[in-house]
Amino acid sequence: MREPIKPISPKKSQYGIDPALLKTRVSDLPGMTSLPLKELFPDLPDVIYPGDNGIESIKKATEKALDKVDMSFIKPEHSVNILASHHGFTLLGGEAYAEMIKTIKDVIERKTGCKNIRLRAGVGLRFRETEEYIKRFGLDEYFNGKAIGVAPVDEGIPIETEIGTLYGIKKVYDADWIVHAHNSDVREVHFHRQVDRAVKPFGMSYARIETRSTYHQNLGPRAANFTARAIFDSPFVQKKFAFACFLTALPNGISGVDADNNLYDLNERITKIGCRYYGKMMTLFGQIDECIAALDFPAPVVYVFSGGVIYANFVGANTDLYDLDNVPLPSYTWYTESFYGKDGKPLIEDIPPLNPAIKMCIHNYAWTGYPCAFFSEHIPTVIVGREQAELFNRDPQNINYAKHAVIAEDTEDAMNFAYRATGTKKVVIFDGAPGGLNVSEEMAEFLLKKAPEVSERVEEELLPKWLRQRGITI
Amino acid sequence: MRIVNLLAVVDKEKCTGCRTCIRVCPTLAIKLENKKAEINNEQCVGCQNCEQRCPFDAIHMQDRQPFTIGVEVKDSDYDKIEEICKKAKFNPEQIICYCTGTRAEEVAQAIIEGAKTPEEITQRTGARSGCKVECIQPILRLLKAAGIEPEPPKGGWQWYGTTVTAWEIPESIRNKYSNVGFYFDEDLELLNRIASSPTSKSKKKDSDNK
Repeated sequence: MREPIKPISPKKSQYGIDPALLKTRVSDLPGMTSLPLKELFPDLPDVIYPGDNGIESIKKATEKALDKVDMSFIKPEHSVNILASHHGFTLLGGEAYAEMIKTIKDVIERKTGCKNIRLRAGVGLRFRETEEYIKRFGLDEYFNGKAIGVAPVDEGIPIETEIGTLYGIKKVYDADWIVHAHNSDVREVHFHRQVDRAVKPFGMSYARIETRSTYHQNLGPRAANFTARAIFDSPFVQKKFAFACFLTALPNGISGVDADNNLYDLNERITKIGCRYYGKMMTLFGQIDECIAALDFPAPVVYVFSGGVIYANFVGANTDLYDLDNVPLPSYTWYTESFYGKDGKPLIEDIPPLNPAIKMCIHNYAWTGYPCAFFSEHIPTVIVGREQAELFNRDPQNINYAKHAVIAEDTEDAMNFAYRATGTKKVVIFDGAPGGLNVSEEMAEFLLKKAPEVSERVEEELLPKWLRQRGITI
Repeated sequence: MRIVNLLAVVDKEKCTGCRTCIRVCPTLAIKLENKKAEINNEQCVGCQNCEQRCPFDAIHMQDRQPFTIGVEVKDSDYDKIEEICKKAKFNPEQIICYCTGTRAEEVAQAIIEGAKTPEEITQRTGARSGCKVECIQPILRLLKAAGIEPEPPKGGWQWYGTTVTAWEIPESIRNKYSNVGFYFDEDLELLNRIASSPTSKSKKKDSDNK
């Protein structure tokens, strides 16, 4: 069996424990191995990053993608806001996304002569997260002091849409032009259901609380992402939109950079990628019959990665997250969570349970800043280290998280407890291992056996259905 | 229910009186005194908004003796609670704040007991003091269902107004986008089923009657 892949390193952040407190990575423990994703799914495209040419490959791919983009309307005297989101900085350590952003700035300057280019970086529920990334990747200096993090509680601006007034963050739109710098990683497919994935930040990281609350509370689980389309299609945003530039993310890394003046054309391309390649990983994860899930990545509980899939999606992998006809409500979304009554059971019978294959969750390393008590209420959870539990106790979004968990002194004790209590040796580690998965030997064997039939089923049966449901023809 | 275990504290040396903290505080616990931010400890629910948005890092969170905020849902008020929730299209047991686990019935109870604004609802129930992002619309919907349409705090960024709900999407929009993956009608049906599903109380009532 192979050596485990080196996981993504812990990061110093106000939302996580001091990296010095993380003594052991789960992949360091006996019995762990790795699986290259290309071995599971040989049809996965080759990636340029991580790769032999390092970060230079991202710069070159961005320049090439932007060659075909029309920027003739941007004049030297204009101002441009490059819009970014926290999410991109969590991909493969964040360097690739930061490099793409820097290159976009350089190319705009070169092609248009415009010098007034700013970075506006939106967040999820950790309002200073992108401020941390701006410092870490030197973006403040690169943008001559014009790089700021923006949050959904910052001053807003009303945006008239075809479904009424919604609200954006004022500083996102305070330039003549906006450039949408994002990525095709599917991430929260439980929320957006791979419908208008490329448009989502307009209803989320660039939006005010009113809009985000509309998304998660007012419209329903399969209509939610319409808030993003409504804002993007508004005359106000259309007047400012210049182009989009995306890292093309795959479960095994970055395959290139895509850019377009037409966001919906780009969206169609990434929808096909999202359904085909991430769809295979998620369908494979849905085959797992029993396991211990180990969280070991610098992001909140829901956003830790394994094989390009976030834990929130693994929690819903017992349902087909891409099937819009037959799965109205995944096992986990905020709508689902809100539909649990006081007796701890769903208010209606046909709400699927959280993935019953997850017998225990070992929280070795994950951040605060996203409400996660629902998980520890429903999945037996062990938090490693009292300091980490204490950090959650001080997070207003997670005051009840540790209440439902037990605390282990160290990683080895936690895993040994999980093996004894669950009786399974199948472990999947959410540690962001680039290009592959870190898993236990038993899990590696299981996944290798299942992958070919999953691949065939996705290609033959599921993918055509998923694309049809989204109005896309192959 | 919300356990409050943190208190915002202003570093007067660093504070420039820029008012950002005042504009984002969900309980209006901050005012300017002598050009410096002053926090009303009684009103502070430890949500961290001010600490997270202060441009000068002049606010930090300090541990405090924990206390709990929340309302007791009263049987005697339950008919009225159900009426407000029904009008707002919520099941009374539906969670409207994911961070604190606050349910629609608790917000309705707070309204019955006199809360007239989102700020007062936060003070009474704890809702809107976790992420401070996702639960503003349900709170405004429940207030509206009770006949209350509050004005946003003057000069503040706490909240601006209500937005569209699934019940208000025009048919033309629903038809226009139904073939590109937006399931408006089906989601509406789901939301209606949730709103009208039995609560623990109604199940108990049924079982007692049997």
